[in-house]
Amino acid sequence: MRLEPRLKKKKDGEEINKRSINMVSVCFYFQVHQPMRLRKYSVFDIGNNTDYFDDNKNKEIIKKVANKCYLPTNKLLLSLIKKHKGEFKVSFSISGVALDQFQKYAPEVIYSFKELANTGCVEFLNETYYHSLSYLFDKDEFKEQVMLHKQKIKDLFGQEAKAFRNTELIYNNELANFVQGLGYQTILAEGADHILGWRSPNFVYTPKTADKMKLLLKNYRLSDDVAFRFSNKGWVEHPLTVEKYNRWVSATNGNGYVVNLFMDYETFGEHQWEDTGIFKFLEYLPGEILRNPDNNFVTVSEAAEKYPPVAEMDIHHFMSWADIERDLSAWLGNSLQNTAASELYKIGKLVKQTGDSKLIDNWRRLTTSDHFYYMCIKWFSDGDVHKYFNPYDTPYEGFITFMNVLNDMVIRVRDIQKKKANAQVANAYSQSAGKPGSFANSFISEHPSAELINMNLDVNPIVKK
Amino acid sequence: MKVLMLGWELPPFFAGGVGMVCYHLTRALCQQAVEVTYVMPFGPRMIRSDYMKILVADNLFPRMRFQLKEVSTFLGAYQTPEGYDEHFKNYLSGLSPTERARALYGPNVFQEAYLFAQKVKRIALEEEFDVIHAHDHWTFPAAIAAKDATGKPLVVHVHITEFDKSGGLSVNQRVYDMEREGMHKADLIIVVSNFIKHRLINNYGVPEWKIRVVHNAAEPMDPNIQHDASKIKENDKIVLFIGRITLQKGPDYFVEAARKVLEKDPNVKFIMAGTGDMLPRMIERVAELGIADKFIFPGFVSREEVAKLNKIADVFVMPSVSEPFGIVPLEAMWQETPAIISKQSGVSEVLNNVLKVDFWDVNDIASKILALFYYRNLHNEIKQHGAVEVRTMTWDKPATQCIDVYHELLRMKRGG
Repeated sequence: MRLEPRLKKKKDGEEINKRSINMVSVCFYFQVHQPMRLRKYSVFDIGNNTDYFDDNKNKEIIKKVANKCYLPTNKLLLSLIKKHKGEFKVSFSISGVALDQFQKYAPEVIYSFKELANTGCVEFLNETYYHSLSYLFDKDEFKEQVMLHKQKIKDLFGQEAKAFRNTELIYNNELANFVQGLGYQTILAEGADHILGWRSPNFVYTPKTADKMKLLLKNYRLSDDVAFRFSNKGWVEHPLTVEKYNRWVSATNGNGYVVNLFMDYETFGEHQWEDTGIFKFLEYLPGEILRNPDNNFVTVSEAAEKYPPVAEMDIHHFMSWADIERDLSAWLGNSLQNTAASELYKIGKLVKQTGDSKLIDNWRRLTTSDHFYYMCIKWFSDGDVHKYFNPYDTPYEGFITFMNVLNDMVIRVRDIQKKKANAQVANAYSQSAGKPGSFANSFISEHPSAELINMNLDVNPIVKK
Repeated sequence: MKVLMLGWELPPFFAGGVGMVCYHLTRALCQQAVEVTYVMPFGPRMIRSDYMKILVADNLFPRMRFQLKEVSTFLGAYQTPEGYDEHFKNYLSGLSPTERARALYGPNVFQEAYLFAQKVKRIALEEEFDVIHAHDHWTFPAAIAAKDATGKPLVVHVHITEFDKSGGLSVNQRVYDMEREGMHKADLIIVVSNFIKHRLINNYGVPEWKIRVVHNAAEPMDPNIQHDASKIKENDKIVLFIGRITLQKGPDYFVEAARKVLEKDPNVKFIMAGTGDMLPRMIERVAELGIADKFIFPGFVSREEVAKLNKIADVFVMPSVSEPFGIVPLEAMWQETPAIISKQSGVSEVLNNVLKVDFWDVNDIASKILALFYYRNLHNEIKQHGAVEVRTMTWDKPATQCIDVYHELLRMKRGG
């Protein structure tokens, strides 16, 4: 049983007209992502060591989170889908770097996602393979990463994704338009107050610049009640029961059709530990919501197909689902982050020109947004949400490690270019025997490698004050 | 709230940072309407005059109740028993017969402490106060005497322990006993870091409930100090170490890191300021490594020189093996010099805008020095944010925490 036939069956639009005034659709989308963390990589490793990633630590984390979250939650979802005979549905977006690591360190996680895929009640979205900020820096690279992810999802779960979510729900008009151009029909974004104003996130919208697309907005209050506040004893609503939560969800009636509950999958068992009761909550929630026969669960694409857009959404500035600011400042909020990102994308084309697939993959793993998140210093003042996820003692160490690795890549690019150039020179020399001017020129213009290393390694004395 | 405070030192005469801490803490306490009677032993006249000058500065703070009671001694807080005997002999030989007689009060450092205790006992009976607050283990016998005489509650303030000074290698049993007795007779203990807290729990058998962590703040400095554009600055970057050149401060790790840095970048000069028993060994070592021309050993430096050195330095390094708190990186931050500090330090518990290393990881220290040279943005960010951070570390915060401890002491006393 696959997702697509199911969607087509419900596409008749009849349901919308017959829709009870008390009806509400619940749309769960869970984000699954694990970065490939860098190992301790010093200045002295530059030029001497191409082993960048901390395999032990990554393995340890994947196994830990698999046992605390992915495996038990997948098992629970599978049983809920069976129990509710197809009435319970969810959507996932799983980054390519996470999938790669599952395949390597915890293949049972892949297997359990396949089991979910086979129920026909689970939709898999597309995103950038490397969970990157590439749209902001290099649209060709963005497209390539999306296509890589599309293929990966198809290979693993047999689904041709029709819905897209960008890294950390980073979104604006132009991005929606670009993604429409890639053939997607639905896109997700944060239901931030500053873009919604008086409007509700519980409707389907259409991006102003992409009229063939549907836009689903996260209901951040209800989502964060589970993702962030569930175990907070200082919260007035603690403890959160399924009855109470169902009342809030149902209170949407009359002000929307679909409640979009978007959250990190690691909410279950990792961010909210098992002893908080989060699994019990998830176990009983679908039954409670479905007690009202007019309520139902939908996947992302079902929600988009089921309901017509009520309005255009015009969003010029980039927004995201991160922090209070809901902007890009968690990844690109200080000069270290901006430097690291721009230096990284600057060499992208040259890296790809080498044709060295390992080098290209290494470079792409550096595009993962987490590396920039680790360099964020705004949390110094407001608590330690960032700190919890940060493998470094300070954000500055995150920057140093990243730049050291990047500089080693620059050297690798340069060495490959030199090798190629030497071959070319030798070739040209044998052909043009005795006329050195011609090939010398081509060498300089086609191989700007000499500038590359200086670009990153500023070896001049620091001028102070 | 009235506090009888006992200390061995107060600026401008001080051997380490504890005198400075006492000075700033008492000032901030007085600003929060706490009346402090500061009792300290006393020595050569030079100190007296310097010291009295500070008391005059007291007038600048009208609400400040700051009294000085002097007791004769010339003991500095960081003197070892062995060093004391030497010092004592020299001192006696240069004195007039009456001065000598006066100095003969205490033939060794421990007797000084107990002599001080007797005098403090008498002072305590005359003075009016609510709690006793004692800094440094040399005042602990006096603090206990004052407590026994008056029944007033006692908090001892631990800035450093014998284990930290000796690097754990040669713990003086009598010093250890004095520290331990003070900690156990005290009603509560203030420590300057979690680092010290664990030391007390593990090495002194102190129960955790008795300990309150009060991190030090930063001493205000003039960030605009004038400095000469030194010739050493012309072609080279400067890496700076300031501190006593003793095992505790990890000078040997600084030298080994320097060697690694120089392998990558020869245009660097290393300044190692301070004196101590390891200085000759360090000079030998840089000669052995063939990097003597890259090193400058200016010896002991005054506070003003510290500021100037920080001003011209590109990177400051504190590779301490064991550092209960450690104020030197704060001085670097005042002068906008990025600091690399040992994770084995109390100050690393509170600082954000620094780079942190394990003191033994010479490779990491060298790598971070070079990273600060290579990545200009990194240097700038740490410099700017560090300068802001150090300005927010004001003394009213630790003073408030001390006042909380005083109130707790009084509640404990009422309750018991």
